[in-house]
Order: sequence, then structure tokens, then C-alpha cells
Amino acid sequence: MRGIVDIFIPPKKWKFYVIIILGIITGLIFFLFYVSKAHSYLSDNAETCMNCHIMAPQYTSWFHSAHRQYANCNECHVPHDNVFNKYFFKAKDGLRHATIFTLRKEPQVIRIHEAGKEVVHSNCLRCHGDLLTDNKLQNYNGNTTNINRKSSNCTFCHRETPHGSVNSLSSVPNSRVPLPESAVPHWLKKMITK
Amino acid sequence: MKWSIKQIVENKPWAGWLLFFVTVVFVFFLGLLASSIIERRAEAQFVYSPKVEIEQFEPRNEIWGENFPREYATFLQTADTNFKSLFNGNGLNDALKENPDMVILWAGYAFAKDYNQPRGHFYSIVDIRNTLRTGAPNDTTPSPQPNTCWTCKSPDVPRLMAKMGVQEFYKGSWDKLGSEVVNPIGCADCHDSKTMNLKITRPALIEAFQRQGKDLNESSQQEMRSLVCAQCHVEYFFDNRQGKQKYLTFPWDSGMTVEAIEKYYDNFNYSDWTHAISKAPMLKAQHPDYEVFKMGVHFRAGLACADCHMPYISEGGVKFTDHHVQSPLNNISRSCQVCHKESEEELRERVYQRQRNIKELRTILEKELVAAHFEAKHAWDIGAQELEMKNILLLIRQAQWRWDFAVAGHGNSFHAPLETARILAHGINKAQEARRLLIQIFAKYNNFDVKIPDISTKEMAQKAIGINTQKLKADKEIFLKNVVPIWLKKAKEREAKYSVKYL
Repeated sequence: MRGIVDIFIPPKKWKFYVIIILGIITGLIFFLFYVSKAHSYLSDNAETCMNCHIMAPQYTSWFHSAHRQYANCNECHVPHDNVFNKYFFKAKDGLRHATIFTLRKEPQVIRIHEAGKEVVHSNCLRCHGDLLTDNKLQNYNGNTTNINRKSSNCTFCHRETPHGSVNSLSSVPNSRVPLPESAVPHWLKKMITK
Repeated sequence: MKWSIKQIVENKPWAGWLLFFVTVVFVFFLGLLASSIIERRAEAQFVYSPKVEIEQFEPRNEIWGENFPREYATFLQTADTNFKSLFNGNGLNDALKENPDMVILWAGYAFAKDYNQPRGHFYSIVDIRNTLRTGAPNDTTPSPQPNTCWTCKSPDVPRLMAKMGVQEFYKGSWDKLGSEVVNPIGCADCHDSKTMNLKITRPALIEAFQRQGKDLNESSQQEMRSLVCAQCHVEYFFDNRQGKQKYLTFPWDSGMTVEAIEKYYDNFNYSDWTHAISKAPMLKAQHPDYEVFKMGVHFRAGLACADCHMPYISEGGVKFTDHHVQSPLNNISRSCQVCHKESEEELRERVYQRQRNIKELRTILEKELVAAHFEAKHAWDIGAQELEMKNILLLIRQAQWRWDFAVAGHGNSFHAPLETARILAHGINKAQEARRLLIQIFAKYNNFDVKIPDISTKEMAQKAIGINTQKLKADKEIFLKNVVPIWLKKAKEREAKYSVKYL
């Protein structure tokens, strides 16, 4: 261990400069965390997803749906079988989102991917599983026989739940969504404007 | 260790420089990433790109409409008067004609002169000018109503309150600001001109919350979607205590139930008017929509007014809030069926069932109250004393307060059917109790000969309590022909001076 550290020890006359530069890099990384609100991604708040304003159509359609009362974004869009899986999936999804968003590669209409579909479907069942297992509903719900239960997704038919059918990036121009406020803290703003 | 950076650099100085430049490039890209994040965050601030700059107190809805054409177009639809439901609708219907008993219940109060079922927000100004309740003011005669009546009618109000001060605004008679208040209820009543966020513009609501130790600023977006409506769709009175003059106040200090509000009024012996027939000290309830909604199942489910009265719609690939504020019954698929999977017919029938049942109860109470007022008059006529009557009059006041509280909020029978039924049941009980005590007085003075005039139509009922409707209407015609055009001319001249700044 000691040996490995020794490799990176700079020459004596460099030491001071190296410390300064390392400080700058660390500070910059902290700033990146702050400005991207990285800490908020640990929470389950729907507001977190509004860190990216392009999620406004999804947020708004959910906010005007019946699911608003019972389920936030994560309730459906991340797995809930165990906490490790939850955060692993979140990180995987999040990094993809961040990459696409940074490269400005987002499509005009954002569509869910296969992995996400599976997660959503299993979350449908987490709350509404009774609809498939209740014998009383067999007659009422003829299409949920054993074959269909395994082979199709809820969203195949319930495709407008809860986001409706209109989801392009420009579909909610005037929606009052909780967008992130300016990154400059209030106290600093006050000082500047004085 | 065979080698280390130290050695490499000492042997080949250029390697040190190489390391330096690699670090420079790394930090450079880190900075680029940070600035990209900042840029994309800033984009969010430019989502709203207005065409017109909207001033802080811009009262003209059409100017706001420049930036929000869809919202404005649907707002204009509140002009529609073609919808009819089981008992109500959005047209101009004479409520007194439909139910002449109400003339008797409000005898001695302006509502006995004229009372129509409500129309859309679009008509807020036209209808307050037209109603006989505001009278026919001119240079010599003021309106019988105070200026406070304008408070809920127009986005000109926040503008004037800022200019004049709140108490100064409430002072004086209703005709004082006739030329100043001209735009119907609209954008600036609920929206912040800078951020477009929902905003409370009427001080009465803010003050009512403060007196209960609550801070309105801490409300969530969802709560705000009800609170902007609660600026007006609530029970209120005009406070004249402690140097105040006709100061609009919400009586919620001890709670929002019918009993709590009554207690608040009783605490300082408040009455809106003395009944012309029975001489009872009466209370008038004014549309306690918000209070009653809060006692219903839909409030418990976390809904706000806007969820059903202003549901989301999509038009040409764009979704927005429908600003055609109206009865959800005219819009079942977009309001009820967002959560309920039953058919439209079934859902409508469920609402009607509640409305029918409540109507049944309120009619029983109405008949009891009409009888009670005339019987109380008879008691006075045959020589009953103040002391004997005191309790009876109090019961009549309590019974009619309950009737009015249940009836004045047009949505009550749906918003909280159980609470509304409870209120009416207590009302019936109190009215019957009053009549039982009256019978004892008749027995004491041995005179049971109560005379109730023919009040089967609105005209007869108004004649019976001495309202000269003909004259009121004639005066109103003159006012509409002579005074209102002058108001409009002044308003036009004033608004012509307002600037419109296109961006």
C-alpha cells in the first residue's frame, strides 16, 4: 500500500502546486454534484425527476391522473423487490438519462425501454395483483387467463395509464411544474442585487 | 519501488509537463460538463417565452391571452349559457321565480329583490350591474350596497387595492368604483404576472389564515389549486368592528363547520339583517363552497377544485388546463372518469341522486321556515313580549342559517352530501322547535288564527313583503342606459393610456 502511494508522491518542489491543483479538481467535482443536484437522486420525490425540464410532460400528465394520490415516479419506474436492485436500476437508468441529456440526444417523444417496461409491469402487479389472482374476476376479466397473465404487459392495453397519449417534449408549454430554481443561493443573490 | 513519478520526472522533465497538460485537459472537460449542466438548467428558465410583457397589475384578460392563447380561448367559453343539469345550469335563471319561498326567507334583505342562478366568470361584471340588489345609483343616490361587493368580481380589484389601500377600497358605496372595475374575473385574480404561478390576490383569505396561525405561503401547488378559488367561493361578512368599515372578513377563527362559524358570529351578536316578518336577527350564508368541499370525500382523496372544474385537455398535441371553469357534469369524461371507471350515465345519476335527496330535505326546511316566520309575526301581533320571543327568534335564526349554509353553496349536495344532510336535519329540528314554542304562545293568548298570504309566485311573494319590483326594474333600466355607458367611456379612456409592450 505504502509503495503504491509512493509512486504518486511528486517531487519536493512540486508539492505545493499539486495540492492546489488537486484542491481545484476536488472543488470542481463538488460543484458538479451541487449544480446537478446529485444528492436529490437518492430520494423518491417526483420533484427530483423535474431536475430535467424535459420530463415536464410526464410529470404533468401524472399530476393530473388518478395515480397522483398513490404513486410517485419511483413507485412504478424503479424495481421494489430489494433495495440494492432499486438503487442499481436507478443508477443505471439515471446514468443513461444523464448521458443522453448531456449529448442532447433526447427524442421528441420519450418512450420507455424494454427494461423499464418490465419494471413498470411488475410494479402494476405489486399493487393490482389481485386483479389477476382473484378467482371472482375470472369471468369478468376473460382475457386474463393463465396464458395471458404471463405473456402480455398491463400497459399493452392500459397504455394511457397514467400519462395519457400525448407526450411530446412540446406538449405542455405552460404547465406549472416544479422546475429547479436558480443554482445561485438566495443569500448570494441578495448580496449581488444590493 | 523501482520507479515513481518523482524519479521519472527527475530523469525526464518533459514527462512532468506532459502530466501537467493532461491534467489541464481533464479539468477543462470537467468545466465543460459543468457548464453544460448549467446551460440545461437555465433552459428551464426560458420554457416560457412571452410575446407581451405583463405588468404587475395588468387587469385586461386579453393582454394575458396574447401569451396564453389556449387558456384564454377556454376562459372565453365561460360565456356559454347552454348547459342545463337537473336543478341548475350555466344560464341566467331566476331562482326566486323557481322558488318563491326564498323571497319570504330573505324578507328585509336585498336577496328578496332579485336572485339568479350563477353564470360563468365571463359575466361577473355584467351580472353585478344588472342585479336589482345593487340598485340604480346616480349622482344624487348612492347604491344600497357597499364597495366591498366588487372585491370578487374583477382583476381590477388587486390593482385598485394596491393603489388605494385595502380598507380604503372597501369604504363607500358600490357605485364609487363603477368606472374602475370593468374587466370580468380573469387571469390576474389567480396568477402571478411574472412567474405565472398561482397567487393569492385577495387579502381576506390571507388574513383569515393568519388569524388561525397558518401561513398561506407554505401551501403546496395542489393546495393552491383550491385556495385561489377559496379567495371568493367561501362564507364571508363585512366587518364594521374596531374602526373597520365594511371590511371583507372570513369567519373561520373557531373553525369552518356551520356550528363553528355560527359561534363566531354569536360571540359578538352579529346579524346581517333583522327579518321583516318575524323580526329575527338573521344570518346570511354566502356560498361556503370551499368549507363544505373540505368536509367531503373528494377533499379527503386529495383533490383540488381545479381537478374537476378545470381538468386537463389536449388539443393538437398540446395539453393544458381547461380554463372553462364550469360544472364537471358538463365534462364528465375529463373530470370524473379520470378516476372513476363507471359510465357517464351512471356517474351523472349518482350526482343527481345526491342532489335530489338534499333538495327533498331543504324543501322540508324551507316550508317549516316560511311558516315559522309568519307564525312569529302572528305572535307579535297578538301581543307576545320580547322576552317570550327571544328564544324563538334565536331558533329561527339558527334554522335559517343552516338552510342558507346548505343551499347557498350550489355544489354542496355533491361536495359533501352527508355534511349537507346533517346540517339540514339540524335546521329542520330547530325550525320545528321554534314552531312548537310558538304554539305555546298562541295557546297563552288564545289566538291560533295565523294568516299566511298567497305567496305561490315570485311576484305575489314580493308584493306580500312590500317590494316594488316594477319600480326597481324601471330605475335599473335608467341606470343601465344613463350611468353605465359613462362608466364604460371613462374606463376606455383610462385603459387607452395603458401601454402594451410587445417583446
